[in-house]
Amino acid sequence: MAIKLTVNGQLRQLDIEADTPLLWVLRDELGLKGTKFGCGKGLCGACTVHLDGSPARSCSTPVSLAEGREVTTIEGLAPEGELHPLQLAWVEHNVPQCGYCQSGQIMSAAHLLSYNAAPSNDDIVAAMSGNLCRCRTYARIHAAIKSVSKHGEADA
Amino acid sequence: MSLSRREFLKATAVSGGGLMLSFSLGGCAASDNGYRESGGEGRWTPNAWLEITDQNGITLTIARVEMGQGTVTGMTTLVAEELDVPPDTLKTRFAPVGDAYRNPLYKLQLTGGSTSLATSWQPLREAGAAARIMLERAAARTWNVEARRCTGRDGRVWHPDGETSLSYGQLAALAAHETVPDPVPLRPRSEWRYIGKTNTRHDAEIKSTGQAEYGIDVDLPDMVYAVMTRPPRLGLRVEGFNADTVRAMPGVIDVVETERGVAIVADKYWRARKAQDALEIVWDETDALDLDVDHVFETYARAADDDPGETEREDGDVEQARSQAGQVLEAEYRVPFLAHATMEPMNATARVNENGIEVWAPTQAPDLGRIAAARVTDFSPDEVTIHTTWIGGGFGRRLTQDYIEEVAAIAFQVRRPVKLLWSREDDMRHDVYRPAMLHRLSATLSDEQITGWDHQIVGPQVLNWYARNAAAAQFPWAPKFLYDSLARVGVMAEGIATPKDTSAIEGAVEYPYAAPNVRVRHTHVDAGIPISYWRSVGHSHNGFVVETFMDEVAHSLGRDPYKFRRDLLKQKPGDLAVLDRAAKLGDWSRPVPEGRARGIAIHRSFGTLVAQVVEAGIEGGAIRVYRVACVVDCGQVVNPDVVRMQMESGILFGLTAALYGEIEFEQGAVKQGNFDDYRLLSMYDLPEMTIDIIDSEASPTGVGEPGVPPVMPALGNALFALTGKRQRNMPFKVEV
Ligand code: FES
Ligand code: FES
Repeated sequence: MAIKLTVNGQLRQLDIEADTPLLWVLRDELGLKGTKFGCGKGLCGACTVHLDGSPARSCSTPVSLAEGREVTTIEGLAPEGELHPLQLAWVEHNVPQCGYCQSGQIMSAAHLLSYNAAPSNDDIVAAMSGNLCRCRTYARIHAAIKSVSKHGEADA
Repeated sequence: MSLSRREFLKATAVSGGGLMLSFSLGGCAASDNGYRESGGEGRWTPNAWLEITDQNGITLTIARVEMGQGTVTGMTTLVAEELDVPPDTLKTRFAPVGDAYRNPLYKLQLTGGSTSLATSWQPLREAGAAARIMLERAAARTWNVEARRCTGRDGRVWHPDGETSLSYGQLAALAAHETVPDPVPLRPRSEWRYIGKTNTRHDAEIKSTGQAEYGIDVDLPDMVYAVMTRPPRLGLRVEGFNADTVRAMPGVIDVVETERGVAIVADKYWRARKAQDALEIVWDETDALDLDVDHVFETYARAADDDPGETEREDGDVEQARSQAGQVLEAEYRVPFLAHATMEPMNATARVNENGIEVWAPTQAPDLGRIAAARVTDFSPDEVTIHTTWIGGGFGRRLTQDYIEEVAAIAFQVRRPVKLLWSREDDMRHDVYRPAMLHRLSATLSDEQITGWDHQIVGPQVLNWYARNAAAAQFPWAPKFLYDSLARVGVMAEGIATPKDTSAIEGAVEYPYAAPNVRVRHTHVDAGIPISYWRSVGHSHNGFVVETFMDEVAHSLGRDPYKFRRDLLKQKPGDLAVLDRAAKLGDWSRPVPEGRARGIAIHRSFGTLVAQVVEAGIEGGAIRVYRVACVVDCGQVVNPDVVRMQMESGILFGLTAALYGEIEFEQGAVKQGNFDDYRLLSMYDLPEMTIDIIDSEASPTGVGEPGVPPVMPALGNALFALTGKRQRNMPFKVEV
């Protein structure tokens, strides 16, 4: 079917089977490979993007559900040539190891901060526990989010 | 053999103007690496290149594959230190596969066993220093001053006047004509600016912006997508399938049979997956291996009864100690099969043309990948090119090249650029697992002392499974029809063609405590389930078993587990220092908060010593880890942050295994499939971790794996202290 959606601010039109997961549309049709495949079942968070500002597991979101909506991926999180404060914090805290899960981690964290500028430790854990990392970079993810939040690192 | 420095380090001019130093990571080992290239009797071959040009700056090309363990950062730091440039100004490239890039310890091109920095510590610094000295000499010649009065600093060579300077890039072409210094003086430790101090990782930014290209991200013009259906149970073979029906599905280009299953090739990944639902395969069950996990342990137990096994260590006489003992303590331990579950599932991309095949893959062993691709096509290894990519987690999984074998076989048949992607379920069910193992231990005690330690390890060894491609890769000149026999030779000639397989016994034969009688034996038994290396390999179970049983002994003697270990490590000041510091860091002698308890363990693997204290409790019917204190001695630290990161990661990896890790077989089929039944630790489970690094001047040792082994026994020991129930099987259970 013909589908229209806005990806990182750009209107995109394509013809694709309606049940194709958004993940494969982003990666293979639109060439946005920063969003990763980890489990295909909404269990790991590697494929997290924002759909109208809310986090969505793109592996389990049929593209038809994204029709007419705004999708933001890791590539569109910050304006071209700039880094999002979380990305800066990620570099600062040396978060990534293999790095494979990190796009999803950052997208989940960005959503958390978008509605809660000063998350408590528990808020962070609650928002991030659906994003798995096999290299177990959780401690640094937590610290990096904390450093960007309004609380700063004071009570981290 | 002692070769002069000049023979290890060669300078050449780069076309277009610049300096290139070729050298060998691994020093002397490379000159005697056990194989001879055809036409190159004993010829020295470089496996790393440092290039300085005016246009491109400084590039280090290395024969290693990044797996997230900070190898790249460590290596560039070493070169940068001696060159005197900030490490992040160095560009790095991975070397393509070839005979020249073999890991000197393994004699194969692979990254594993935490060896990268250990083998390259000296040569990388020498290369950096030699380049700097040559640049200084070139500048001196230009200015007509004495070379020793010129100083290379921050990417420029400075004139003795302290004001005039030339950049390394400007000098590079001239420097190429200078002779390589011999010997190469290295900076004293007191003058280091980056080693032990640098904390940034080279790759943090591209991995935080989605820009790093992993295997799964490879894109070729006109590329199509493949999915593979593999035998659902061990030992099945394809008898037939409904090719026509599947070919008629939307987007399907071809359906092909390979050694490993039936592949569907389609224009889009999702279409290939959907077509897979329509695929019906008739399986030939003649060789089906209908085993359950219980059978595996029964087989092991029977083998253990019948066969005392190979004696791997024998000090004194344990039998005699037993006959004179006041008390004998015995226990049996079991650890399950474990999946690697790398976050990036197995995948590879290949393109065939008339001259050969190119493969893009996230592999830890491109050498073996080349053999694997050659084996299933008409091409010779020389006609296979392997391009390595960023790797979304290795942990040993990507030492096995089955996914390359698959993609090569598919591309060879369909003759189109093709990407093969495994689903998570494919990845979980067709892994090569950390073997399940059985351990029997007994300790003889007299007068409050251990008089004998007797350890029988029961289970398979990894090399038997690994050797098929590995053996062939060690004889690059061998014709393909010999591969199968080489595989058998590789196993039989263990120790000659390949290093001795210590995968089952490592971490147990080195039993570190003072005891007059020690025996370690290995009963070899293989249930037929595919196995491979898994982060920290044998240490992952032997560390658990040895350190748990030590705890059992301490408790049965009524001794404090820390002080008991301490007394038995008196002769080893290095071990004692690490143990003492961990006890301090983990508040061992302080009161424990209500409802919690502490456990301690110490274990050496890959040359690195790690001790940990775990504080744990039981919350809402589940085991909860609150704190882990970790002390590590890994020799000279190149990048302290990488060490800390690897310890944190290792601790959580070990805890995941202790709390959740288990792959079960039911009638030859793997039960677990995705992260809902093969759970990983999440941020919710995150304990507070404190890492302390011992200050040392010894050569650096690995840090990727040694954080894993001690945390499992330390947790089990804490649970015993809390509940009085001993955790002898993994994963741990609240109700034992
Ligand atoms: S790939 Fe989507 S949640 Fe795992
Ligand atoms: S950094 Fe490797 S999976 Fe998270």
